[in-house]
Amino acid sequence: MSQSGINRRDFLTVLGLGGTTIVLGGCGNTSIESGAELVESYVQPENFVVPGVGVYYASTCAQCPSACGIMGRVREGRILKLEGNPESNISGGRICSLGQAAVQHHYSPDRLIKPMVRDNGSLQPTTWEKALALLNAKLAPAAGAGRHVWLTGPMSGHQQILLRNLVDVSVATDHVVYDALSTAVETSVNRKLFGVDQPVALIDKAALILSFGSDFLGAGDSPISAARQYARFRKAARRGLLVQIEPRMTLTGANADRWVPIAPGTEGVFALGLARELLQRKEYLGNFSAELLAAVEPYDKDTVSRITGVRADLIPHLTATLWEHTPSLVLAGRYPQGHAHGSRNTAAIALLNVVLQNQGKTLLRGAELPFPQMAPTAGDFKSFAELNKLMSAGQCRSILFHHTNPVYSAPAFMQFAENLQKVPFKAAWVTEPDETAMQCDLVLPLISPLEDFGTHVAASQPDGFEISIQQPLMGKLYADTRSFGDVLLDLLKQIKPDSYKSFPDYYAYLKSALINAKSAFDPQADGEEFWENALSSGVLRRPAPLLPLSAMEIKPEMIQQPAPSSIDVRYPFSLIPSVSPSFRDGRPANLPWLQESPDTLTTVVWDSWVELHPSTASAMQVREGDVLIIESAHGSIQAKAYLMPGLHPDSVAVPIGQGHESYGRYATGVGVNPLKILDPIFDQETGELALYATKVAIRKTDRNERISKDEGPTNLQQGRKLVATLAADRVDLAKETPIVIR
Amino acid sequence: MTRRVFFRGWMYVAMVIPLALAAYTAFADPFESGGPIGSQTSDGYGALGPVVKQPIEFPHYIHAGPREKGGMEIDCMYCHTYARRSAVSGIPRLSKCIGCHQSIESVKDKPRIKLLFDYWAKQQAIPWKKVHDLPDFVRFNHERHIQRFIFKQDRPTREVCGYCHGDVASMTTARRVKALSMGWCVSCHEKDHKIDAVSEKTSHGPSDCWQCHK
Repeated sequence: MSQSGINRRDFLTVLGLGGTTIVLGGCGNTSIESGAELVESYVQPENFVVPGVGVYYASTCAQCPSACGIMGRVREGRILKLEGNPESNISGGRICSLGQAAVQHHYSPDRLIKPMVRDNGSLQPTTWEKALALLNAKLAPAAGAGRHVWLTGPMSGHQQILLRNLVDVSVATDHVVYDALSTAVETSVNRKLFGVDQPVALIDKAALILSFGSDFLGAGDSPISAARQYARFRKAARRGLLVQIEPRMTLTGANADRWVPIAPGTEGVFALGLARELLQRKEYLGNFSAELLAAVEPYDKDTVSRITGVRADLIPHLTATLWEHTPSLVLAGRYPQGHAHGSRNTAAIALLNVVLQNQGKTLLRGAELPFPQMAPTAGDFKSFAELNKLMSAGQCRSILFHHTNPVYSAPAFMQFAENLQKVPFKAAWVTEPDETAMQCDLVLPLISPLEDFGTHVAASQPDGFEISIQQPLMGKLYADTRSFGDVLLDLLKQIKPDSYKSFPDYYAYLKSALINAKSAFDPQADGEEFWENALSSGVLRRPAPLLPLSAMEIKPEMIQQPAPSSIDVRYPFSLIPSVSPSFRDGRPANLPWLQESPDTLTTVVWDSWVELHPSTASAMQVREGDVLIIESAHGSIQAKAYLMPGLHPDSVAVPIGQGHESYGRYATGVGVNPLKILDPIFDQETGELALYATKVAIRKTDRNERISKDEGPTNLQQGRKLVATLAADRVDLAKETPIVIR
Repeated sequence: MTRRVFFRGWMYVAMVIPLALAAYTAFADPFESGGPIGSQTSDGYGALGPVVKQPIEFPHYIHAGPREKGGMEIDCMYCHTYARRSAVSGIPRLSKCIGCHQSIESVKDKPRIKLLFDYWAKQQAIPWKKVHDLPDFVRFNHERHIQRFIFKQDRPTREVCGYCHGDVASMTTARRVKALSMGWCVSCHEKDHKIDAVSEKTSHGPSDCWQCHK
């Protein structure tokens, strides 16, 4: 070392000097760039605009059909953060994670900013003028035989009115509303049993909620509204009790006082067993027909226990608890609906509400809507399946997509993507290209919901009638993007110019339509004042009482349960494609905030996983992270094993939402899509897809990969026994010392 | 061996530089002006920023400069009105410029004023470029500094704004003359500042990381 001229002391000295230089350099103002950015300045702003100070504007969240009122914090013309709008009866000033992530949807780097047209097999940029000329040519009445079909997600409000008007005046045109997670089975049962599509369930008025897989706090129809009611239900003088019965624990199940795992598809059997036990009491007997009483008679507690896998003593225990807690509320979620006997399964559960005489107490009829044409249209699967047949037969001339991604969400057995190729013209309106848009001939860029005007109406309105007003929270980010309302108006002007020529744009149409409707809300107000007030508060509300709900006659065949099926040795497990509150039908998977938010029950991030019950995993010698092949008769997927105690041992669950092939940089290539391997099983009454009826086999591979998750070991309390635990049914509360807080 | 002696000598020179810088930091006045390009301020970093070409060459010296030099001594906060109530001082709205200049006939034909009225005719905001830019991870708050030094200590606006912006009233378009680096900020936060105009009590600026890095 000494021969080279540098000894150890020299080396350390130089190291010290170099370090000092680096530290001093690091403290410099290297990222200050004078003149590199523009300062936000205004010509003549409103008095309340102060640069650096946020201003809140009311609008409506468009991330799901709940129509939650939101407030957007805007600074220097940019939307920074969303909160709930306290004026809204639905959100009441609250917002969910899906709603929070709407900002990211708006600023996504993968936004489509130019119209694209297919040229020589690939999508190429074009202009709106050329795109609309092509669209008009393809939609012209003389362009060939077959139907034109608008395929959209669930809709409501004035955009729906415009689309219906367009469909009505166009030749050979249909509108199909598709929802991959449709609850059309429940709607059909409600119509038969109660005469309405969706009765209003008053969670906060119930003393006990018996929920059969209804994830009303997580991935339900309106989780914010339900969570607010649930808070009141829990805070009542007599704290409300929640009993959740389901094959795979949902977020609501995790909040329950008692969570009961049940064999998938046997929820109706349990409900009938409970009904039989309740009907032993004369107070519940009511005026049920002898046939109906005979139909529930075979379901004694031991038979029910054998079929469902639930302990027999739960039925008398639950009956006694229901007797002590009135009024109660029985809810049916997606799990019981997703089987070949889904309608009968759900009807058996709904029967409990009739037996427990909940109508008029916790289950009511919604208020009459003053504008029924604005009422939301929920999607279903049957119409979508019929459209698929039409496409397969070559009878669909054009298909126009908005707010839906069926190429991703349709099961593989439908061969939707292949049938789409038989349609001569396909167009999609998107903010960000997805799998469906990538197969279209014309892809048109939409403005984001935070840049758009609109009206939304929620399906479930527990307090009168409310229209949620959507207004832009900032100007357009991209000049070449357009509102879907403007597109519809332009198309209508081509067909019926006289009716729509007075509206230069969708804003003008919406303003005129709402001012015309002011008599239902504030007849005395001046038109402009009414409009300004509506934008300012974000809601238009009309108080209206809920109405009593009458029960129709229940026929025994409506609740008849199938005989227990024997185990298929080839496919011994039931597949549960679980619905996540964040990812729903997979469309929010392009939002990295949601990808990096830990799943509420497993804490897994940025991935798919397959849940196995620990006992099943032990029997199969599967460890966490083992890569498993989940194989149905219609396909297979691979995912890492996660051991989930909140699962029926005969089931495996894979969350829906991941597995995108072409949906921006954040969703593409992450995880797998369990919807692709579903079996073609449908509800026998409604024709809806049976989401939870697929049987699968599990095979191990020789790979084990680490699961990205936040939680530590759940069974060992970080390897130490930090808190002593005891099963809930082994606790005798009478012997516990109460904790007194002074 | 000769090489080794040379190497050691160089090292001693190099060690003196940071020591000199440290001493300079400890005793230098943080409110000093930037000096010519390439000069260094108290924390040893380049202070004078580049000349930023603005869409209109706004003459601060005419608006805010001293009367004896032909200026109008307009208070900084007359135009930068947001500084006392917001994190950012902001650029005055165009209507404020026009509010005065529509009544000043004597300069209406000047090229810069014509340009100003062109923007007004088009109702287009002037695309001013940011001169005093901080990294995105730094949150500086004008309001707190203005409230403390101008309103509580009753010091002149030009002096207080000048702590960070230099003597803008003598410039045409603004140019950065202070380092605006963390060491420079901290050197002021470490000093004793009177809590108001009458009290002898003093306090320091906050030294918590999260005050600026949120």
